[in-house]
Amino acid sequence: MLAGIGFIAPLLAYLVIFYAYPLYENVSMSLHRFTRATYVTGEAPYAGGDIYREVISSAQFWPTVLQTATFVVVSLVFQYSIGLGLAVFFQRHFPLSVVMRGLFLVPWLLPIIVSATTWQWMMDADSGIINRLIGVVGSDPVWWLNSDNSLWAVIIANIWLGIPFNLVILYSGLQGVPVELYEAAAIDGAGRGRQFWHITLPLLKPVTAVTLLLGFVYTLKVVDIIWIMTTGTGSSQTLATWAYSMAFGKGASAVIKYSEASVIGSILLLVALVMGFVHLFVQRRQEAV
Amino acid sequence: MNSRRRWAIAAGAVVAVASLAACGGGDNGAEEALTTVTFWDPYPQHDENSDWATYVEACAPEGMSLERTSIPNGDILNELTTAVKEDTAPSVVLLDNPAVPDAAVSGLLAPAEDAGIETEGPDENLAGPGTIDGTTYGVPIGANTLGLYYNETILEDAGVDPAGITSWDSLNAALQKVTGAGHQGITLAGISGEEGTFQFLPWFWGAGADLSDPGSDAAVEAGQLLSDWIGAGYAPKSAITDNQSASWDLFLTGEYAFAENGSWFAQAASELEFGAKMMPIPAKDGGAAPVPTGGEFAVAPTHKDNASAHYAAANEVIDCLVGAGNQVTTDDMLGYFAANGEERQQQIDADPIWEPWADAITSAEGRTTDLGPDYTAASGAISEAEQAALNAAGDEKAVRAAFEEAAQQVAQ
Repeated sequence: MLAGIGFIAPLLAYLVIFYAYPLYENVSMSLHRFTRATYVTGEAPYAGGDIYREVISSAQFWPTVLQTATFVVVSLVFQYSIGLGLAVFFQRHFPLSVVMRGLFLVPWLLPIIVSATTWQWMMDADSGIINRLIGVVGSDPVWWLNSDNSLWAVIIANIWLGIPFNLVILYSGLQGVPVELYEAAAIDGAGRGRQFWHITLPLLKPVTAVTLLLGFVYTLKVVDIIWIMTTGTGSSQTLATWAYSMAFGKGASAVIKYSEASVIGSILLLVALVMGFVHLFVQRRQEAV
Repeated sequence: MNSRRRWAIAAGAVVAVASLAACGGGDNGAEEALTTVTFWDPYPQHDENSDWATYVEACAPEGMSLERTSIPNGDILNELTTAVKEDTAPSVVLLDNPAVPDAAVSGLLAPAEDAGIETEGPDENLAGPGTIDGTTYGVPIGANTLGLYYNETILEDAGVDPAGITSWDSLNAALQKVTGAGHQGITLAGISGEEGTFQFLPWFWGAGADLSDPGSDAAVEAGQLLSDWIGAGYAPKSAITDNQSASWDLFLTGEYAFAENGSWFAQAASELEFGAKMMPIPAKDGGAAPVPTGGEFAVAPTHKDNASAHYAAANEVIDCLVGAGNQVTTDDMLGYFAANGEERQQQIDADPIWEPWADAITSAEGRTTDLGPDYTAASGAISEAEQAALNAAGDEKAVRAAFEEAAQQVAQ
């Protein structure tokens, strides 16, 4: 009995110190009014749900939620479908397929500061390469990082960034699909399209669920690529960049707002948690089938 | 789970936490002599082998060594906040001047009087941000400010006489001429945040606007000026995300006729092939616009344990850096102006590249002098309005709406 406790104690201590305590602090911060002076004086009056009400009723909240939802959903749809398309494509072995598959991992390997800055250059309204290409086709240049367009600019960059992750996971998922099924289907006269819809996609379901869940959580908390490209200005402000800007007094929020930032942090945690339960539910249903 | 087991688990966790806490160790509060004096500055561009590092380390008080840490400007105040909480703050910090009031009212800084720091000497306009509600917290390490650089080759080619640019109208006329001759107009940094506000203030103040009222007609005019530059293609659209280094890089291409940028680039500008000169930023109706002061303040953070030893060490280090006779050496190294008028005159006499800046720095204004700690919120609101104005690319309704919104935010 005692020995059992001895074995579990380090894990428990780790969980308490590195998970439970920070979580508790975050929630506590969102219920008290923290200012910079709080760090010195320790004074943080209890505000109950007031700060939640203030944040949710602020003019920025709902537009930011909508932008976050757009950012996450559009990113995921394209990352997943392009990643799946490429994974299926690379399933056939052809000369240089391994090298090409390796090249698709580049976005994953580059430091984000490098790739985000490069996207910023490419999307420069006056001299960026994307506008030059558009000019060749004869269209008017686009002011990509303008406050109206910046959400789409960061979505494009984020899709590019997320393709390798989807490609790698879905590709390894495809390796688990027995080749015999395809052979049998081919004998029964199923074409490549039918094979994809009736074999590949259904058998990839568990992998798809994990990919989308992880992708959702990663995308929800993306700060770096947006911050480097636009400092979260205009329509590119998401809940995560908003929280970052308030927590550190950077960008649009010059004044540091610890409590408001932790309100957003708590909301993001809650959303991620709900998605986790959705994943568990889907998984359990699949196992039951 | 039975209650004995639950109790035991709880006890195990407590023991583990307590043993971790014990590693942190506690100070018994006794005054002891410092062996190292810690020093923070926001200059990561000067690494540990740089001349600046050697210079600062040589300022260690006798019998002590100096440990310098560089933290990016945007992070130093937040780092200081947590360090003061843990009582692990450095003895000396070089803090960006608009951050000083915020730090002071949050209780992060020791008043200069308590720390024994000599505050006489710097010119009043440069020392302004260090005094909050009558209490002085630090001394400027030096100062920098903004000017309008121009590309001599382009102006000559376009037939523009730089001496004729004395107001917004004559500047706009010059921009029209250079862009008409196939060149680019002006680079500036409109990035969201304090850096963008810093760059906007010469136009804001030059129109006669006041920080306490960002919704005034004058403020709108300043926003409209920059908005029109984007709309007319005089300024690059990347101004909305450019910081001062990025906008300087654009000027370095030699394609742009003008660049609003800092005196810290004066040395680099003097070495450019196309011939880059500086003129004061014009005010709307003529004359030089008031420009904001930049640069850091040397301050002593508050300490709980061993406070007097920290303050004494801070005092010696600060005196070594900015005391009488030492300012010029320090500021030459940083590309700053000495904060004391007489010492600055020596500096300007010794190097002709500083000459055109002399008046600008003498008449420069502290950003926080009027509003004190409230400046931070006003700056944020103005930065947002400026961003909106640049994005509007000339749309007058949108520019006015943006500044009215800023006024509302400041009023709250």
